[in-house]
Amino acid sequence: MRFPSSLWRARAAVMLALGSLMLLQGMPARAADPIKIGMVIPLTGSIAESGKYGIQGAKLAIEEVNKAGGVLGRPLELVIEDDQSANPTTILAFNKLAGDKNIVAFLGPTRSTQIQAIAPAVQKAGIPVMIGGTDPTLTHTGNPWFFRFRPNDNYTVRVMADFGGTVLGKKKWAVVHATDAFGTSAKTLFLDNLKKQGIEPVMVEGQPNNSPDYTAVALKVKQSGADVMATFITYEQDLAIFAKQLRQLGVDLVWVGSPSITTTTARNLAGPALYGTYAVADFFSGANPQAKAFAEKYQAAYKSPADFFGSWPYDAIHVLAKAIESAKSTDPQKLRAALLAVKGYQGVEGTYNFDNNGDGLHGYNILKNDNGNIVIEKRIDFND
Amino acid sequence: MGILLQLIFTGLGVGSIYALVALGFVLIYRATNVVNFAQGDFAMVGAFAMVVMTIDFGLPYWLGILLTLIVLPVFGAAFNLGVYFPLRNRSYLPVIISTLGASIFLENGMLAAYGPRPQSLPPIFASQGITLGPVFLDSQYLAILATTVVMVALQYVFFERTLLGKKMQATSQDKEMASLLGIKVALMIMITFIYSATLGGLAGILIAPIIFVSVGMGSAIALKAFAASIIGGFGDVKGAIVGGLALGVIETLGAAYVSVPFKDGFAFLVLFVFLLLRPQGLYGERISEKA
Repeated sequence: MRFPSSLWRARAAVMLALGSLMLLQGMPARAADPIKIGMVIPLTGSIAESGKYGIQGAKLAIEEVNKAGGVLGRPLELVIEDDQSANPTTILAFNKLAGDKNIVAFLGPTRSTQIQAIAPAVQKAGIPVMIGGTDPTLTHTGNPWFFRFRPNDNYTVRVMADFGGTVLGKKKWAVVHATDAFGTSAKTLFLDNLKKQGIEPVMVEGQPNNSPDYTAVALKVKQSGADVMATFITYEQDLAIFAKQLRQLGVDLVWVGSPSITTTTARNLAGPALYGTYAVADFFSGANPQAKAFAEKYQAAYKSPADFFGSWPYDAIHVLAKAIESAKSTDPQKLRAALLAVKGYQGVEGTYNFDNNGDGLHGYNILKNDNGNIVIEKRIDFND
Repeated sequence: MGILLQLIFTGLGVGSIYALVALGFVLIYRATNVVNFAQGDFAMVGAFAMVVMTIDFGLPYWLGILLTLIVLPVFGAAFNLGVYFPLRNRSYLPVIISTLGASIFLENGMLAAYGPRPQSLPPIFASQGITLGPVFLDSQYLAILATTVVMVALQYVFFERTLLGKKMQATSQDKEMASLLGIKVALMIMITFIYSATLGGLAGILIAPIIFVSVGMGSAIALKAFAASIIGGFGDVKGAIVGGLALGVIETLGAAYVSVPFKDGFAFLVLFVFLLLRPQGLYGERISEKA
């Protein structure tokens, strides 16, 4: 057999390079070695787009931290593993990275179901994991290693009820929700919150997704005599059809919606039918100076507008860097204590005050659709 | 009373959407004895063609419709050649599977090309509608109702009064006999697909201002339209119209007076009752008569 000798030389060089890499990995960490942070995020599959935004947000923060001299004199390094948008593969991805003893903390998925899937593995690994899922139970089932960088769903409904009831002084609530998992669970939480205020809604109605017509629901809202309405509708086209038919029947009331009501798609589809409506949102680029600066940097770096998929990883990296610095260690227990001690940190998602459950944020922005433009109306934060 | 009238009008409007799509089902079924599961996607293709013409290229509405009316027949012909023609001598099952595959291909192709975000098309009339006493008449529903009536009348005249229409009817009843009589069966079926694609595409353009343009817009409607055409008597034009309108009214009233979450269930409850008690549908012929 004859091979061109240049090819052999190239192969030998690659083997040598690989061999020396393996040697390096086995050596103990030196002072200038990077502090590794694992990131389990979808790069392929149905929600791959959101994974890209998450990495972009995290990388922006890592660049800033490293430019300012790193943490404990060492630079931060992101180690990314694809979770393939599914639960079993998320567990595999987490376990693979958890085997690397140089990784001191993780950024986990944004979807609650995937965070639930890795919960047992996280408990076993005993390393802090920053998360962006909003299912309240994630931080309330005794797992000490989850730290949440978005307000959980209890605050969504609490802020909606507080804004309509306490701030605007409306008492006759209509509640319209999608009959899927999101819509029904949000509705149940919302009704619990109203009950705490001693309010019984005048109308509660569920509607199926992907229907060409919502006249029956719109008529019920009209007949109920409600002066304020909360909606939990999953899909933007359903929301737009409902909004148009509501206006056609001449219904005009204060409308506070779940976040989908402010998306560009919803505004394009519904047009004037959504003017004057309110919504809750955890990230809004005009909400505070930090968010404004982040949105500008993100836009400049990636040529696309920032959203919550990128904003919470950005906050998580900064808070993590701060916690490692104050713990003066990457030991999991010391890091955990330092994360829980973070109070009053101004992030782009809001002000972080970690509670003992690991929830960093306790409020939401109220946004308003002002003739097609989204503006901030109010920030509502709670102390518990 | 005002509320009941409003619900009935809305029900008729939604029902006419079902009827328009059901018409396409019936046509292809009559010509080929096969259910075309991509019928709903014809509506999606028509609506997306309009999006490309009027939004992406910025053409005026009338020119957009005109060009779409050129695109749709070509699409129908291509659909016939690619999906039906190679399997024409096989039993109905491979053809049905083939249309199912075409449906999945079309929806995912559009998803890859246009992404999951729904788009909006402008309505035909500038006015949203008229308020008549307690009832709001949506102008788009009025346009759909009017189009349905016109299409049904045209279709009736075409099938019953013209030679081409009669040739197509003969083809649908007995292909072998028709070809023995000198009718070009393949051509007749080609014409059916072209017409059906055009009709389906037009339906898509008409319903787009109401339910918006998205990849899945047709398949959600098509399922109800399929139920409507079975209730009306599969293969019967009159039945498709009556079945569609009835289904629209029943599910709207059911949602208002019985249960909103169960809204989609009413259509299939009615279908179930019909399959049990009157499987040939409202206007369908008995199986024994057909043999």
